[in-house]
Amino acid sequence: MPTTTTTTTTTSARSSPTALDRGDGRSGPVIAVRGLEKRYGSTLVLRGISFAVEEGELFGLLGTNGAGKTTTVEILQGLRRADRGSVEVLGLDPAVHGERLRRRIGSQLQDAALPERLRVGEALKLFAALHPTPLPLDELAGEWQLEALWRRPFGALSGGERQRLFVALALVGRPRLVFLDELTQNLDPVGRRRTWDVVRRIRDGGTTVVLVTHDVEEAERLCDRIVVLDRGQVVAEGTPASIVGELDGRAVVSFTDGDLDVRGLRGVPGVDRVDRHGAQVRVTGSGPVLAHVGAHLVAMGRAPLDLRVQLPTLEDRFVVLTRRPLGPKESS
Amino acid sequence: MTAVAVDPGVAVAPEGIGSVRTTARLAGYELRLLAREPMVAVSLIGFPLATVLVLAGVFGQGPDPDFGGVAPDDHYLAGYIGVVLASMGLVTIPMHLATHRELGVLRRFRAAGLSGGVVVASEIVVGLVLGTVSVTVVLAAGSAVYGLAAPDDVVAVLGWYLVGLFCFIAIGVALGSLIPTGRAASAFGNFVFVPMFLLGGGGPPRAVMTSTMVTLSDALPLSHVIGGLRQSWLGSTDDPHSLWWPLLVATLAVLSAVRTARRRAG
Repeated sequence: MPTTTTTTTTTSARSSPTALDRGDGRSGPVIAVRGLEKRYGSTLVLRGISFAVEEGELFGLLGTNGAGKTTTVEILQGLRRADRGSVEVLGLDPAVHGERLRRRIGSQLQDAALPERLRVGEALKLFAALHPTPLPLDELAGEWQLEALWRRPFGALSGGERQRLFVALALVGRPRLVFLDELTQNLDPVGRRRTWDVVRRIRDGGTTVVLVTHDVEEAERLCDRIVVLDRGQVVAEGTPASIVGELDGRAVVSFTDGDLDVRGLRGVPGVDRVDRHGAQVRVTGSGPVLAHVGAHLVAMGRAPLDLRVQLPTLEDRFVVLTRRPLGPKESS
Repeated sequence: MTAVAVDPGVAVAPEGIGSVRTTARLAGYELRLLAREPMVAVSLIGFPLATVLVLAGVFGQGPDPDFGGVAPDDHYLAGYIGVVLASMGLVTIPMHLATHRELGVLRRFRAAGLSGGVVVASEIVVGLVLGTVSVTVVLAAGSAVYGLAAPDDVVAVLGWYLVGLFCFIAIGVALGSLIPTGRAASAFGNFVFVPMFLLGGGGPPRAVMTSTMVTLSDALPLSHVIGGLRQSWLGSTDDPHSLWWPLLVATLAVLSAVRTARRRAG
């Protein structure tokens, strides 16, 4: 049985609506999360997570469904209250200054739509009116290719058009920080890649982006830094490359040569293992093993046409990090 | 990692922007959206107008003891102000709010910095405008067909109208806060509205109701709103018209809506 948790959110001493300046001439992170806990009924969905996001980063919150990603970003925006821990976003405590904070950030929420009959132009005008110095709407509509859709009702927009509108709505108030939650959900591959370009453009414009996703490829391609959440805990944090690097970084080099005597490959630097399956040869090793194997094959006069290397990916690491033991039914 | 100072003063909306102007703007958009929904016109104008024209025509235009001594057409026309308000509070507003929540519109509004208070205030404005326009149309059309005497006490009519508005907007917001989907809100709203309409002054007069029906009728806030409107407009009615009952129901509805909003915010 879970223990009872006292439901108090720590309001940090720096939660007053003032600058992020720490007093030493350096500014703090745009987001600082420490020991965050959240319980729904008897289920503890966040188990003391901590992380920080720096200004200008494209930061990824990666995890499987139910890992606690959306709950985390809802707490960061003051849309939910944490049970324990402290949160600071743009120098404000979202639990105390939620409304004020939400006027300064942009937000694309998962599964949050607009009224079916609300027109694109009306939505832009309505959301622009919430900010004192919104972006000029004609510029914004031009930037996100919404001019031709100006009078179209939201219900008649395609998935990609809706995402462009959501991004435009998130940016209309010139935010310093934008949350994008499962932005490419339900998009086809072409729409997904276009949306990735959109996200890069937002970051390149100087806005800090928090990208919430369960799509490992998306996180690996886009994010400067990632936190991997699993069952409410941070299980990895760093750049995509550094997280992959924590995996046993062995590469697999493969090629086809039915006549090659593979014994010679075992002495090649970096090679740990050589396997042959018919004409297919697989060489497992570490370091610059591809270069050494290639050089060896060329020296032997047997340069293959299909020499390939498979390196560990973030997905491999993600699978290891989020692997669950099989239940009785699955293992039987 | 390089950290750049953030000026929290940048892009912060001025104080008060989240109040009157934003409420008016949101209410304007909500009214436009409702005007694009054919069902709104049907339930707020079409249904009450068709019903009142039929009933007023069936029961005649001479004073009738079954109608508290007033002419049935006047009895129905004055009372249908309440029917319009009940339809708005039990069907239109809950359906509108619940559909907004179901689609995530309310979450999106909140994430954009629109407070729950602004959304509720805009619903009140929407109810005020929608109710007034619908009542005006129904009364104007009904009067054009059957004629309607001038109000006996204009101030009292306005007072009861405001009480009815407050009561049914509060009920609408409370139901819209509780019910999870637009379809559920529509089903529940109609399920409650039809018997309330029939027993609460929109259907047969009290003189022909059974004692059970009269007891049920006395418990309905609509009976008292309609009774109050009839009393103040016609100077006479046998309908109940206790002011405290619709106000109590409205207060309970407001408390329920606030409780639900707090629970959802957790």
